[in-house]
Amino acid sequence: MKESLNNRHALVISKEYPQANFTWILSLALALIFLWNSFSTKIEGLNLFVFTLFCAYTVTAVFQLFITMKMKRDLLSTGEIRTTTRRLGYIQLASLLTGNIFAAAFAFTLVNKRKTPEYTFAVYMLLTQLAVIAISSVNLFKPYVSDTFLIAMGSLLLIALFHLAALILTVRYVNEYSAPPWMSVLAVVLMVTALTGNLFALLLGWSLFMKSKRFDSSRLLKWNVMWEKITRNSTAVLGMFFILLMFSISITSRFTFDYALAVENNYSAILESPSLVYPFGTDNFGRDVFSRIVFGARISLLVGFASTVIPGLIGGFLGALAGYYSTRIDNWIMRLLDILYSIPGILLAIAIIAAFGANTVNLIIALSVGSIPTYARTMRANVLMVSNYDFVDSAKALGASDFSILFKQVVPNSLAPMIVKSTLTIGGAVIATSSLSYLGLGVEPHIPEWGNILKVGSTYLETNSYLAIFPGLAIILLVLSFNFLGDGLRDALDPKLD
Amino acid sequence: MKKKLLTLTLLLVLVLAGCVKTKSEVESEGKGDDGKGGLNEKVQIEVLGMGSGEEDLNIVRDELIKNGFDVKLNIQPDYGTFSAQKDAGNFDLALSSWTTVTGNPDYAVRALFKSDGANSLVEDAKIDELIDQASAETADEYTKTYQQLENQLVTEKAFIAPLYNSFKAQGVNKEVLNPDTVRLAKSRAIAWETIDFKDAAIRTSEPLVSQQAIGDLTSLDPIKGNDGSINTLNTNMYVRLVNLTDEDEVVSDGSLSHNYAMAEGNSDYYFLLRDDINFASVSNGKAIDTGERVGAEDVVFSLERAKDKDSVPDHRTYSLHERIKSAEIVTDLKELENTKQSGTDETILETLENGLDTKLSGVVENKTNADNSKGNYQVVKVTTTEPFPQVLNYLAHQSAGIVSEKQVKSINTYDVASFNLDKDIPYGDQRTVTEGVNYNNQLYASGPYILVKKNDYQADFVKNPAYRAGSEFEPKISNVTVRFIDDADSALSALRNGEIHLFNGVPETKYDLVEKADNLLLQKSDSNAVTYLQFNTAGREVSKSENLRKAVLFSINQDEFLNYYQGNKKKAYSTVSPLVDTGNELVADSSKVKEFLEAYHKE
Repeated sequence: MKESLNNRHALVISKEYPQANFTWILSLALALIFLWNSFSTKIEGLNLFVFTLFCAYTVTAVFQLFITMKMKRDLLSTGEIRTTTRRLGYIQLASLLTGNIFAAAFAFTLVNKRKTPEYTFAVYMLLTQLAVIAISSVNLFKPYVSDTFLIAMGSLLLIALFHLAALILTVRYVNEYSAPPWMSVLAVVLMVTALTGNLFALLLGWSLFMKSKRFDSSRLLKWNVMWEKITRNSTAVLGMFFILLMFSISITSRFTFDYALAVENNYSAILESPSLVYPFGTDNFGRDVFSRIVFGARISLLVGFASTVIPGLIGGFLGALAGYYSTRIDNWIMRLLDILYSIPGILLAIAIIAAFGANTVNLIIALSVGSIPTYARTMRANVLMVSNYDFVDSAKALGASDFSILFKQVVPNSLAPMIVKSTLTIGGAVIATSSLSYLGLGVEPHIPEWGNILKVGSTYLETNSYLAIFPGLAIILLVLSFNFLGDGLRDALDPKLD
Repeated sequence: MKKKLLTLTLLLVLVLAGCVKTKSEVESEGKGDDGKGGLNEKVQIEVLGMGSGEEDLNIVRDELIKNGFDVKLNIQPDYGTFSAQKDAGNFDLALSSWTTVTGNPDYAVRALFKSDGANSLVEDAKIDELIDQASAETADEYTKTYQQLENQLVTEKAFIAPLYNSFKAQGVNKEVLNPDTVRLAKSRAIAWETIDFKDAAIRTSEPLVSQQAIGDLTSLDPIKGNDGSINTLNTNMYVRLVNLTDEDEVVSDGSLSHNYAMAEGNSDYYFLLRDDINFASVSNGKAIDTGERVGAEDVVFSLERAKDKDSVPDHRTYSLHERIKSAEIVTDLKELENTKQSGTDETILETLENGLDTKLSGVVENKTNADNSKGNYQVVKVTTTEPFPQVLNYLAHQSAGIVSEKQVKSINTYDVASFNLDKDIPYGDQRTVTEGVNYNNQLYASGPYILVKKNDYQADFVKNPAYRAGSEFEPKISNVTVRFIDDADSALSALRNGEIHLFNGVPETKYDLVEKADNLLLQKSDSNAVTYLQFNTAGREVSKSENLRKAVLFSINQDEFLNYYQGNKKKAYSTVSPLVDTGNELVADSSKVKEFLEAYHKE
């Protein structure tokens, strides 16, 4: 009786079991979407390509369901997942070929029992790299590719091979608190490959570097605990994966995609439905929507990040001053910011754009100004709390200046909520960017930006709905990813949840 | 084994890589010349336009960039800011459009390209001369003159770069309206009086619901406005001496005249007036017959004030009528008997009597004495300052609508020179018909309908009970509502869900939506709307250099516009293209662009 209760507990605390459930449901949902699309095309009969995808995803989903049930049985009977069940993960890895990232990610978690943060980094690093290659290789179906395509794809492939090797080495040699010293070389090379935008490589590299150089164990513990909390949350990792994928794509697209296809009009290919040459179809000027969305990621991410970082810095600085110094300064700063806070952000942005003209820099400024007060408030609240801690008193007793106490002791310890807040609001910034472009107030209309693409799509909603669906999905996915990641970060960084 | 596999994969990758074509390979296979001027720096062209012309601007931008220019777009949200930018000269090229609502070529060029034209940026003696020469010629003669004008304006000097000529498209709810009764004319605004419901029983109970974009009405005094806010409304509120057919021919059908005639010398024009139209006014929300006939006195009064710049403040249409020397009532029947019609042996009298039941027995001066059934008619003679046959088109324009002499004089009692809009309320001011405390409807309508009231969302019209009652021109539907819907897509939705019955201005890219809908009918016809690029003629590089302008001109590929609009546009060479077939065509030529650019750089 006691044992079965324990095993039931094992089922509840298992982090792999919910992920397994999540995976088969998602795979099945995707399969159903493919099924719907394979029949609902205008042409009579079924779309063979999409139907094949449907079959593949259904097989994946069914197999995943099988694994899930086996896992449940294992957990209930023995309290842990048997090795034979884990081996099934190797078969499920094949779902990577169909582009089912969720199933592949699950398979990677399943096959390895002993999960270090490095393992998760390495897996997602490889997945990101493969996804970047897959997305870029769609260009092979185009009549021509950009001049740098072959070199870039070759390098990406080599890097992917290297990442695979790194993954294998990580599994073999890295454990909880240490890694072999020679791995520091590997770590540095990995950090260099992060130049392709694959920031998982940077994380892995840094992590390996710390372990191979035998950093202070309390630091390693902190690092491990934080990332374990984040990686336990599979939606947060998927969100992070999508964000970093978009980031990586926006860097590599410079070499693998042809910008002309995204901005130059091609009147012989107006409003074409999705096909291999134009995976997301073409818009009313014959521009490839796929390329436009890929290039649009760059602006959305840039504006999203910049309009979060700028008010974060300014608001953080003002909030820190307000929270630390006298009530008079506090009142002055906060009441002035209250005035700014009372102006609706999007209206303020519209007014700024209308006055100074529509371009990316003005867009960033317009979106930044409005959100300064909220960051200032968050920072002030934290500083008020942290400045009462003992270590601040100790610093004062040691005779440190106010300024150095504030920015060396107080602010670094108040950053966590700021990071969480910015991750959560970055999604809002992405939406605001797109909204302004949608209204014709953002970047110039021919420049690929998700709001611009969506605007064109909105006028063809009935006749060529894919023009609105794909940019809409892109916006939704990116914002959702930021929100998931934000939630994960909050769980990991919030001291209250410790 | 593993090594072999790796080598094989590498080989495969290499072979596959060989199959892929890169961009520069494809381009060198093609023309081998991308038009991008090698040594010289790119010329920057600033293109000004409105948000509504975003698509055109994008095509122009694309074409210019492909021909080696650097393009800066200046997109303004509305007409006000666009005009401000244009007046400030902040452009090289301005996306402009022009619709010749009078259906005659003189109107299509005079205001735009003559040195003293109201909207003109062009100053060229030869163009002035050709415009004046063509205006005195008849339709058979002026084709060649307008061709010369186009040659000078576009080919030689490149003052404008033409883009396209639009169609007019109108969506009709065929389940509510009888589509055969809904006209779609090339130039003139739609006539409501012919429109009928499918079910005649609801003529008095249900309103006809139409749409227009602008709800801020310039003025309901016909001479004080010539824009989209009032063209249709005033056309249906005031009758004119003549009308345009759907194909832009001048006729008397549906007008105040039985017949008209042009006398020898092409300077005198005679109009034989009807006696079956009375002015209507509004009382307690209903239209009533004032008992006052629309007569020759009112015609003379209306035309005299139309041509006189100082007759009202904010006179917006006098330039259309400045060729009218005088309008007078003919009091002597002999004048008609002794004058020959232009180009024939018939006398004016014979032409005017053509098709009448009762021939003329006398002409009367006072409108109350006219009785057509007894042979007493009123005849108006209009004289132009020089031979000008196209004056008839101007007389068919809404600004030549007939107003009541008595009513207008009794309201416009202010002094024109010291007019103050805050104190004086002129005839036709929209404040008098807007719901609220200032409502005081003093309109006198000579046409088939009269405006009862308006607000920000709609204007309500009722039929004039004394407008040709009993004839085929008597308005069929008693009430007309005009909804103000700014956005074309919203208006289209309103049409599709039955909120409005009629929508003039279906966007080109949405034709198939209307065609596919079971309850709708798409009517399409030619129109006189031409979209073109206007070059800045002062203070810019393009103003100074003819070569640069020509380089831009030959960058424009009209076929691409036609492609974009799915064939729902026509080519144009100038604003007269839809009216006169001059045979000119703009052919894009990147080698010419290069030549002219080189010539420009040598300057």
